[in-house]
Order: sequence, then structure tokens, then C-alpha cells
Amino acid sequence: MAELIYTPAYGSYDFGAEHPFSPARQQMALDLLAALGHQVSWTEPEPATREEILTVHGEVYVAVVEAVSAGETVADLEAWGLGTPDTPAVPGIDPAVRAIVGGTLAGARLLSSGRATRVLQFGGGLHHARAARAAGFCVYNDLAIAIRHLTASGLWVSYLDIDVHHGDGVQAIFYRDEKVQTISLHESGQYLYPGTGEIHELGEGMGRGLKINLPLEPFTTGDGYLEVFEQVVPPALQAFRPQVLVVQAGADAHFDDALADLALTTRDYERLFHRILELADALTGGRVLFTLGGGYSLHAAARVWAILYLVVNDLPVPEAIPPAWAERWAAQLGGKPAAALHDPDPAFEPLARQEEIVGRNRLVAVRLLDALAPYWF
Amino acid sequence: MFVRDIMTTAVITTEPGATLGHVCEVMQARNVRHLPVVEGGRLIGVITDRDVHTATSSLCLTPAQPKGLVRDAMVHPPQTAHPLDPVEDAARTMRALKIGCLPVLDGERLVGIVTGIDLLDALLRLTGVDKASGRLELRLPDKRGGLARLTALIAERQLNIHSILTYPEGAGQVRTVLRVDTLETRPLATALREAGFEVMWPTEKPWQS
Repeated sequence: MAELIYTPAYGSYDFGAEHPFSPARQQMALDLLAALGHQVSWTEPEPATREEILTVHGEVYVAVVEAVSAGETVADLEAWGLGTPDTPAVPGIDPAVRAIVGGTLAGARLLSSGRATRVLQFGGGLHHARAARAAGFCVYNDLAIAIRHLTASGLWVSYLDIDVHHGDGVQAIFYRDEKVQTISLHESGQYLYPGTGEIHELGEGMGRGLKINLPLEPFTTGDGYLEVFEQVVPPALQAFRPQVLVVQAGADAHFDDALADLALTTRDYERLFHRILELADALTGGRVLFTLGGGYSLHAAARVWAILYLVVNDLPVPEAIPPAWAERWAAQLGGKPAAALHDPDPAFEPLARQEEIVGRNRLVAVRLLDALAPYWF
Repeated sequence: MFVRDIMTTAVITTEPGATLGHVCEVMQARNVRHLPVVEGGRLIGVITDRDVHTATSSLCLTPAQPKGLVRDAMVHPPQTAHPLDPVEDAARTMRALKIGCLPVLDGERLVGIVTGIDLLDALLRLTGVDKASGRLELRLPDKRGGLARLTALIAERQLNIHSILTYPEGAGQVRTVLRVDTLETRPLATALREAGFEVMWPTEKPWQS
């Protein structure tokens, strides 16, 4: 069983109907679970306090976010990463993002106090936010604030980021930190935002060798993904021996995603979630905190995160979705087939270049392991 | 981008009367491969690690000894650059002569040195990312106004372009690679295609076309 953390207040983190980071994603997933007959109950977190935000973010930046949130005009807003099409300056954004940070922090507290081992924060994952700058839909970095709480409680943390975009904000905040290992699997920055996350970004100072990046070729499919995951992630975790695992479970590596180019199916995600739980059971006494993250196909994200809920609660994943769900969310689904949790098998025609893609990913994994070897042995 | 923007200003130099053994030690200790040779405040040559190795190699007919002198192994007269030369001029000179460095002279004064590594750094700055951004690659007709129309469309969407690189592809076409301040390069690519642009990346997904 897993503790679920959620509040409808997450829905106020909303950049408008045209913006891809839509709160409808969680609502659709929760409604899907209800449609499947699950009585989903959750703990409602308190919003994060200003002091908690300041454990990671600079005071001047926080004041800018508060001013924007109150509708004040701020000079040179773009220097703070706000007021861009990606991260618009919307009134009320400060309490909205604090609700999310509060959720991730509540999850971390459940783990640090020993009140839970498996926690699913049904929101958050704002991994692009920097200490003093908003970026890529992310205003405050809920993950970094939660990780800081965990390390302040004396725990060593491995952060695993399976969002299709590089977890650059979390990596940058802990780049010199010896208590935090970050592992990010993502579509290569040669092709995708934010452009970083290459294998030679290994950390600095005491954190050297603890920042791990596995950039993948566009159109990498589930088998190829899980193969290099297996090559890199278990040995990395074994080398560091974390006491807690924090997982950013973005759903945007799905083949239907509107912003990125990897090609996982919902079935691949299910295998991946099972494997992450196995690793947590083997290495961290089962202590794991999942958050959500990116996911810009509503059709994919709702199903991926419903599957995440089922897997972390050791529940079976059924095939069929009741038609009433698809009817309720017809506008969001945009006519995509929604009769099953799993994508059809095969979900798409195999690519002609698939061998080359697999080969390049294998080579990158080997080069990464070569670069890490001096720090592991 | 000018030579002065990429050159190393703390130049380590040597003198024509220094020994090859000494020069070799300096190169190893300071981790450099090129030393300008200065006499009476004036640049008179350059000595590289390769010059030292070649001069002292036992494969030479008359190998120099460690106490051999720099003046007998150095390259002279030196090729030089000016701080206000464009970097591409420095690159062209180094490529044409197949040499690894250019001491930078402002009048008679040695003010810096540019090496192949500095040019690689410049290439990284020109093509790479130092700000979070998404990549967009297009093929444009090599005609006036094409680029202007592209950047106008991007500006209309309130997006900031971090870097832009254009190179001829032949057949009256150019490749343009942009780094744009957005996560939403796919929707941008779709809009550009609808406006008639040939977008090379992001491609349409094979299973959606």
C-alpha cells in the first residue's frame, strides 16, 4: 500500500487552457481510477511555508514570485524566467505552487518520520526550476525542497528522473552535494529542451560522480529504454546506497507526447514502475517517494499515472476502461481511443532505424559507465 | 566575436636562450603546448611541444640535447593575430597553415595567445547551449528575407531566440539551427510547417504521419 498525497488546490497551478501543463491530467487519472472502481483516498497537505521555500530558493527570487502572484508589475521579469510563453506570470501563482511544494514536502516528511515507506504525491515534479529562476513550466522546485528536508533529516537520497526532459534544476541545485545522487534518463539535449544532461555532467566537488545522466536517442522504444536503464540505474544505486529514493515520474516519454520524441507505451511504463519498486525494496528498505511531472498527451498521462497508482498499491492493472470515462473527458482525449489502459501491441509500426537507435543508446550507456567507474571502485 | 574575446591573456613565454629541457618542464608543469619566444620585449618566434620532441628525438640524424637552445628549435618568424581580428580570420589562418596557435600582438606588445582549444571553445559558444532551450532546425531557400520571415514568426509567438546558426547547404539552400527559449518546439515546428517552412527537426513522428 502507498500513501497518496493530493489536494484539489493543485489545480490552481494553471497557466491557462492553451498551456500544456494542465491540471486536467491528474483529475483525469483520479477519475479513471474511480471509473475502474477504486475508492481513492488521499491526505491533503498543508501548503509550504515561505521558510520552507527559502531552504532552496533565493529570497529575492521568492519576492519576485510573490509580487507577480499579487499582480504587481515587476521590471525585467524575463531575467527571472517568468512572463515567458513557457512559464507565464499569472496572478495567484505563489499559493498555487506552494500547495504543490507542500505536497511533495509532506511526502518527504512521511518518509523521514518513518510513518510511511511508499508515498505517491499526485502532483509536483517541477524539476526545471532553479534556485533563483523559473524555467520550463516550473516556478519552485518541489523536488529539491523535499530532498533538502530528507538530507537535513540525515538521509542519503537518490533522485531518479524518468521525465523525458533532463532534470536540470534538481541536478544544478545539488551539483556539489555529497548526500544527493541524481540520475536522469531523458531524450538527448542535442534534440530536446533544456539541452543539457550529457554524460560528462558528473557533479563537482564532493558531489563529483553522483550526478548521472543517460541521454537517449529520439524514438527510443520501451525495450531499448529498459535495457540501458538496467545497465546504469541498479549499479548506480548500489554504488551510492541511498536510504530514500525520490522518483520524478513524468509521463512524457510516452510515444503520443506532444512535446517530445521517445516512444514508450503504457505497458513499458508499467514495467518501469515495477522495476523501480523492486530496486527500492532491495536498496532503500522500500522507502520511495513518487511525484508526477511532465506529460503532454492527456490521453497518455492520465493512463500512465493511473497505472502508477495501481502499481504502487500492488493492485492489478485491468485492460478495459469503462466508456463513461472517455465520454466525460471526450474534449481532452480529442478522439483518441480510450477503451484500454494499455496501448495496442504493437502500438506503432517498428521504425526502420530502430537497430541504430538501440546501438547508439548502448554506446552512450557504456561511455557513461566508463566515466563513472573511477568514482565507484 | 573577436580574437580578444577568446584569447588567453596570461601568456606563458620563453626566451631564445632558454634550454629545451627547461621549456619541456614548463610545458608539462603548466599543461600548455605552445610558448611564444620573446627577446627584449619583442616576439621573435614560437616553440611548440612538437618542435621540442622533434628536435630531441633519437630518430633525428643529429638529435638536440636537453641543454640545446630554444633559438635552434623554434619556428620563426611567427604568425600572429590582432585582438580585433574576427575569430573566423584566426581560424582560417590556422587552418591554412595547419598550425596550432597564434600569438596576439597589439602593435609590438604581446597581449594574448589563441590556440585550437580556444577556437573549439568559441565553436561551443556559437553552437552550444548555455541557457535552457529547445532546438529547431530548418532548411531555408538562400534568398533575401527568408530568415527575417522565420524570426518574425518566432517573435510573434513571444519566444526568445538564444542562438542562431546558418550555413550553406548547396543547391541554393541554407540550414538554420536555432536554440529557442521554450519547451514547446513541437507545436512551434507545426506552426512553422503550416506557414510553409521546411522544418528538419523536430520531425513529424513516424506513427503520426
